[in-house]
Amino acid sequence: MAARGTAKRAAGAGAARGSEPQEEPPPPLQAVLVADSFNRRFFPISKDRPRALLPMANVAMIDYTLEFLTATGVEETFVFCCWKSAEIKEHLQRSKWCRHTSPNTVRFVTSELYRSLGDVLRDVDAKSLVRSDFILVTGDVVSNLNVSRALEEHKLRRKMEKNVSVMTMIFKESSPGHHARCKEDDIVIAMDSATNRVLHYQRTQGLKRFRFPMSLFQNSIENVEVRHDLLDCHISICSPQVAELFTDNFDYQTRDDFVRGLLVNEEILGNQIHMHVTTEEYGAHICNLLMYEAVCSDIIRRWVYPLTPEMNFTDDKNQSYTHSKHNIYRGVDVSLGHGSMLKENVLIGQGTVIGSNCSIMNSVIGQNCRIGNEVTLDGAFLWDGVHIADNVQIQHSVICDEAEVKEKVKLKPHCVLSSQVVVGPDITLSEGTVISLHPPDEEEEDDDQFSDDSGVNKEESKVKLKGYNKKDVGSEGRGYLWKADDKNEDDEEQRQSLWGPAMLSEEESESDSDLSMGSEEPDSRAASPQLDDIKVFQNEVLGTLQRGEEENISCDNLVLEINSLKYAYNISLNEMMQVLSKVILEFPLQQLDANLDSQNYFSALLPLLKNWTPLFKNYIKRSSDHLNALFAIEEFFLEHDSLCTSIAKVLMTFYQLEILEEDVILNWFSLRDTSDKGKQLRKNQRLQKFIQWLEEAEEESSDGDQD
Amino acid sequence: SATAAAFIHEIRGSGPKRPRSEDTARQTLSLLRKIIAHGRWGWAGELMDLIRTEGQRMTAAQPSETTVGNMVRRVLKVIREEYGRLHGRSEESDQQDSLHKLLTSGGLSEDFSTPYPSLRANVIEAINELLIELEGTTDNIAMQALEHIHSNEVIMTIGYSRTVEAFLKEAARKRKFQVIVAECAPFCQGHEMAVRLSKENIETTVMSDAAIFAVMSRVNKVIIGTKTILANGALIAVSGTHTLALAAKHHSTPLIVCAPMFKLSPQFPNEEDSFHKFVSPQEVLPFTEGEILAKTNVHCPVFDYVPPELITLFISNIGGNAPSYIYRLMSELYHPDDYEL
Repeated sequence: MAARGTAKRAAGAGAARGSEPQEEPPPPLQAVLVADSFNRRFFPISKDRPRALLPMANVAMIDYTLEFLTATGVEETFVFCCWKSAEIKEHLQRSKWCRHTSPNTVRFVTSELYRSLGDVLRDVDAKSLVRSDFILVTGDVVSNLNVSRALEEHKLRRKMEKNVSVMTMIFKESSPGHHARCKEDDIVIAMDSATNRVLHYQRTQGLKRFRFPMSLFQNSIENVEVRHDLLDCHISICSPQVAELFTDNFDYQTRDDFVRGLLVNEEILGNQIHMHVTTEEYGAHICNLLMYEAVCSDIIRRWVYPLTPEMNFTDDKNQSYTHSKHNIYRGVDVSLGHGSMLKENVLIGQGTVIGSNCSIMNSVIGQNCRIGNEVTLDGAFLWDGVHIADNVQIQHSVICDEAEVKEKVKLKPHCVLSSQVVVGPDITLSEGTVISLHPPDEEEEDDDQFSDDSGVNKEESKVKLKGYNKKDVGSEGRGYLWKADDKNEDDEEQRQSLWGPAMLSEEESESDSDLSMGSEEPDSRAASPQLDDIKVFQNEVLGTLQRGEEENISCDNLVLEINSLKYAYNISLNEMMQVLSKVILEFPLQQLDANLDSQNYFSALLPLLKNWTPLFKNYIKRSSDHLNALFAIEEFFLEHDSLCTSIAKVLMTFYQLEILEEDVILNWFSLRDTSDKGKQLRKNQRLQKFIQWLEEAEEESSDGDQD
Repeated sequence: SATAAAFIHEIRGSGPKRPRSEDTARQTLSLLRKIIAHGRWGWAGELMDLIRTEGQRMTAAQPSETTVGNMVRRVLKVIREEYGRLHGRSEESDQQDSLHKLLTSGGLSEDFSTPYPSLRANVIEAINELLIELEGTTDNIAMQALEHIHSNEVIMTIGYSRTVEAFLKEAARKRKFQVIVAECAPFCQGHEMAVRLSKENIETTVMSDAAIFAVMSRVNKVIIGTKTILANGALIAVSGTHTLALAAKHHSTPLIVCAPMFKLSPQFPNEEDSFHKFVSPQEVLPFTEGEILAKTNVHCPVFDYVPPELITLFISNIGGNAPSYIYRLMSELYHPDDYEL
């Protein structure tokens, strides 16, 4: 017995699981379900309802996740809630998961203190909740996967090599351009095809080029596969070590941090991450409304079979549907008026009444909705109790609980009406409008929001705040506009967060996106492929300088700040110089909007350069630094053709401020091995004049020396 | 109870593999036996309500799995009979009430309210008998094979059916014949069927579904299995069967359906698609296709409706019957009051 005990201890701190599986029955499979996203992507919708309870095809997201876990054989699930935990708890207690017959025991862990996935896993470790390998999912995963094969592989790997593999991530194969591929979740992975080990993991973030460490291909691994056809299901099989690693590394916030940290330190810590790719089953993670739309339509189109609406897997009496041709699902007591057409892919909840001559396709309609006559719905997602009056047209929009749309309202794609909002009559909402009863600048009153009766709360806030803007919501409307055409950066963020970054590319033409596009473009087509860190660093430097400009911070302090950033991101001096030059040259562009006039540009740049001379001097020490700075300048002007004329002036200023030395400038100019564009740049008349002048000045000064 | 929940989970198809009808029937019976043995009920009426609500739950979970409902009806009938016997009624009067009796009885004839202590044991005993009957169904059907398959015949079948497999294997022990299997895309269960048959040294050919009509002229008999026999003698069978049946009709080839009696359902095909089943389109157009999926609707039905006029003969565990006789078998198996659960 004693020997057995020591053997267990030797297996490592995390090996509390039975180390002799042939003797003991395997411990029940456990899962950690994080019912919080720790971000505000779904604001203002998630102000009224936590994300995990948002209805997907009239069933709360968390029910899909729990059904997936149960179907895959999980016997104990820990649900971690933070935001609106009481609502989640209440929902689950009413559901079949908390009946004593449920094969999957659901336990709640609630804390207001969780701020990230990292906090949750540290808590898992602190309370030592998991006894063996567990499944980690978020509360917004829809899947019909059976992870048992992946789990077996995972266990086998752990048995073969003691505790080396700590995590198995599950991916679904789907080619780029698939509608269920989330743009912001897009990843590039390098894997060892023999062992399925993850070697490199990187989010694409819209980049076109990627850099892989050389060591990847120099290793003894025979076949390295680089894949971009994978969709991250956000389902991972973790060993108890994962929770410990989160405790050891208190700076890990997300799973991405964890994966990156583990891969970077692979040689030191000796931990590995593996992956499992599924082709047949479905798995997706809803991170924004575009994904919401995509996954909803996948459910309706039966990709997630057997989790289809008519299966009524939640065993809820109000959720029984009949399925008929063209994927039309009808609940009980649905009434359809004369001449109304349900074209295809429509789900109608119990007790909904639809008027005459309506045309409905690709839509989900909740319970007890009232829809008037001559209504056209295409890609509309109506939640419960929505009222829609006559002659309304809705395209690709989300309308939350008990919202009301009055006569002759038109909703362009990607509108969001959050709960109890009223719009109309006779108004057209432009693309991407978000209307909520919560004013956008409302203070955070998270804590008392869910405990109070929300109705009362709303009455109060309504009295407190100014009236609704009739122009935005119509003459009888109620609600505040969350997104408008004003050039507020927050709004831009809002759009991006609700519908995901894909929206940006679709709406490039819109005037208000120009601002952010201007600043993003140089980054995305930077001539040299840059690593993430440099990019982040560049943004940080930009932010620092902006603050310095606004608050008049002295250069010494700026140097200090940039220095600390430099160390934080591990930036070499060469890179530092390039980034600094680039940031400063781009700085006026930010302020001048898109007005790219070389005259204006230079006059804006000049005072900045003068201010920040000490900054440059601090970093330019060796001649290679000078050259680096010059390369950065060259690159910048190559990218901004229209500003080309001012290059001579800029160089002149640098020279006059004694930032750059003449030798180096001449040296740079005479470099031969440049691109065609670089050569053209060098043919610029003013630049040539400047160089000529420099050469003459040098001769003169050397003459002077000799005298 | 937990077992009921697990069972519902399984018939929904959330489990690892698609259940066999025979297993489903057996599991339903065992589950109901458990409910009868351990449930709280005092008299037959209460028990029947209990069984009925449980049955409704199970059939609602997967309407295409008609076997569940059929077994529930069988059990209800068993309870009625056992109660009637204890109540002191003779077998014959129970079987078929005369018109005169129906007129004079006036309203509800029975309320099943008299408690009998021995009812529980009797019902369980009868259910055990049913279970034993289930055991032998496939063998009973296979035993009739020699009457239908003759030497050097060409038999066509579609997809994979355990009953048909046993039927053909039984015939192959005595006779030599050739089997053509339509593969039954997109699931291609036909491949499995062909492998299993060829292992028994039956000369087997697999062909695509598109070739059914072309090959039909050479075929002597078509022998298929089915998911469900409806009350009008129609079939709910694996998709592709309708094509096969039409081709057989065109060539006047006899179409024989091998199906045990528990697949006989008292439902009529009036509700358009209520026992249809559409599964994930994965098999038809894989998810990896990418962009095109956002613009297309892909359907992947599992079953076909085959009208009774295309069917020549049913072979069940109690013998061969024509489709027109199905109504009669049905009234023997189920009580008319239980047609609607």
